Amino acid sequence: MSVWDLFSWVLLISGSIFSMIGGFGIVRLPEFYSRMHGAGITDTMGAGLIVAGLMCQSGLSLTTLKLVAILFFLLITSPSSCHALARSAMEHSFMPGVDLYPSRRTESKLPVREEKGTESA
Amino acid sequence: MSFLIDFSILAFLVITAVTIARLRDLWAAIMFTGIYSFLCASWMLILDAPDVAFTEAAVGAGISTVLMLGTLKLTGNRVPQCKRVRIMPLGLVITTGLILGYGTLDMPHFADPQAPIHLYPSPSFVERALHDMHGLPNIVTSILASYRGYDTLGETTVVLTAGIAVMLILRRDKTSSGDSVGKDSAGKGATK
Amino acid sequence: MKTFPIIRIITKILIPYILLFAFYVQFHGDYGPGGGFQAGVILASALILYGLVFGLHAVQRVAPPRTIEKMMALGVILYAGTGFLTMFLGGHFLDYEMLEHDWLADYGVPAGQHLGIFLVECGVGITVTAVMTMIFYLFAGRRRVA
Repeated sequence: MSVWDLFSWVLLISGSIFSMIGGFGIVRLPEFYSRMHGAGITDTMGAGLIVAGLMCQSGLSLTTLKLVAILFFLLITSPSSCHALARSAMEHSFMPGVDLYPSRRTESKLPVREEKGTESA
Repeated sequence: MSFLIDFSILAFLVITAVTIARLRDLWAAIMFTGIYSFLCASWMLILDAPDVAFTEAAVGAGISTVLMLGTLKLTGNRVPQCKRVRIMPLGLVITTGLILGYGTLDMPHFADPQAPIHLYPSPSFVERALHDMHGLPNIVTSILASYRGYDTLGETTVVLTAGIAVMLILRRDKTSSGDSVGKDSAGKGATK
Repeated sequence: MKTFPIIRIITKILIPYILLFAFYVQFHGDYGPGGGFQAGVILASALILYGLVFGLHAVQRVAPPRTIEKMMALGVILYAGTGFLTMFLGGHFLDYEMLEHDWLADYGVPAGQHLGIFLVECGVGITVTAVMTMIFYLFAGRRRVA
C-alpha cells in the first residue's frame, strides 16, 4: 500500500471518529449552546477530514479539484449555519445557562440560573 | 458491506417516519421531515440515480422545510395529544401495508436485465440512445426530453397548475398593505 | 437575519456560486446528471436564501411577483412552442429531427435533437424556478392568524 493510501486511511478514520464524537455530543450535552459545539465539530472536523481523506484517495485529478470546491463550500456554509442558529437564539433572549451546576457552597454569590428548558422559544 | 449501508439507511428511514408521526411538537417534526428527505436523497444516490437525488435534496431538505416553517407561523406550535386509541384505522393501515409488502414479492430484482421495464416497449432505448442523440451521453435526459418528451410536457404543466392552485388559495387579503402578491392573480382567476 | 453581519457577508459571497451551479446543471444536463427540474429548484433556492437573509421586500425587488407570474407560463409556452414549431416545419409534435439546420454549424450552434432538448429543458427550468419562487412568496407573505 502506498503512502497516500495509508494517509487517506488515517484521515478517513479520524474523520469518522470526530463525527461520532460530535454526534455523541449533540445528544448528551446538557444545554443548547453546548450542543452547538457538537454540531460544529461534526461540520468542520468530521466532514473536513473525510473529504481530505477522499482527496488523498483520488490522487491528482479532476476529482480532487471538485473535492476542493466541495470542501470550500462545506467549510463556509456549515459553521455559518451554526452561527445563524446561535445568534438567532441570543436575539430571542435564550441565554446560555452559565451556572448550570452550582457548586455546593452554603452561600452562593452568583445567582443560580436554572436552565431555560427545551421548550421552543 | 453495501448490505450494511443499505440496511442502516432504510432502518433510519423507518425510525424517522415513526418519530415524525409520534411527535407532538411541530417544530421538531418539521426538522425530522428534513432529515427524512436527506436520507431519501442518500438512498436514491445508492440506487445510482444522482439526478433524482439532488432534486430530492434541494426540494425536500431545502425548500420544503422552509415552506413548512412558514406555515408554522399560521398554525400553532403543538398538536394536542390524541386521547383514544383508534383500532380501525390502525388495522386498515396495517392490512394495506401487508398487502403492498406481499405485492412487492412479485417484483423483479433491482437492475435485472430481463425485467419487463427494460424489455417493453423495446430493449433498445439504451442501445439506440447514443446513436439517435448524436452522441449525448446522458440517457436519462434523452429519455425524459426526447423519447418521452410529451410526458415531460405534462409534468411541467402539472407544476404550473400546482403554482396556480397555490396562488388561488393563498391570495392575500384585500385589506393588507404593501405589495400585493396575489391580488392580480385573484382578479385574473375570478374573471376566467 | 439582516442584522447578522456574518450571515449577510457569507450570503453575498455564496449566492453567485449557487446561481452559477444552477446554470451549470441546466446546460450540462445532456452530459451529466442534471436538467431542467434540478436547475429550477437550485435557482429557486438561491432566491429563497436571499429572501430569508435580506427580507421579503428585498427579494421582491430582485424578482418582482408579476414577472414571476409571467415566467411561470412562459416556460410551458416555450416547451409547447417547440412542439408546435416542429409541427409547422412538417414533422410530428415534438419531433426534433425537424430542427436540423446547418447555420453556423462550425460555431457550435446545436441542431436537431440537441437543440430540441436544449429548448425543452430551458422551458422546464424557467417554469420550475418561477413556481417555487411564487410559492415561497405566497407562504412568506402571510400574516400570523393564530
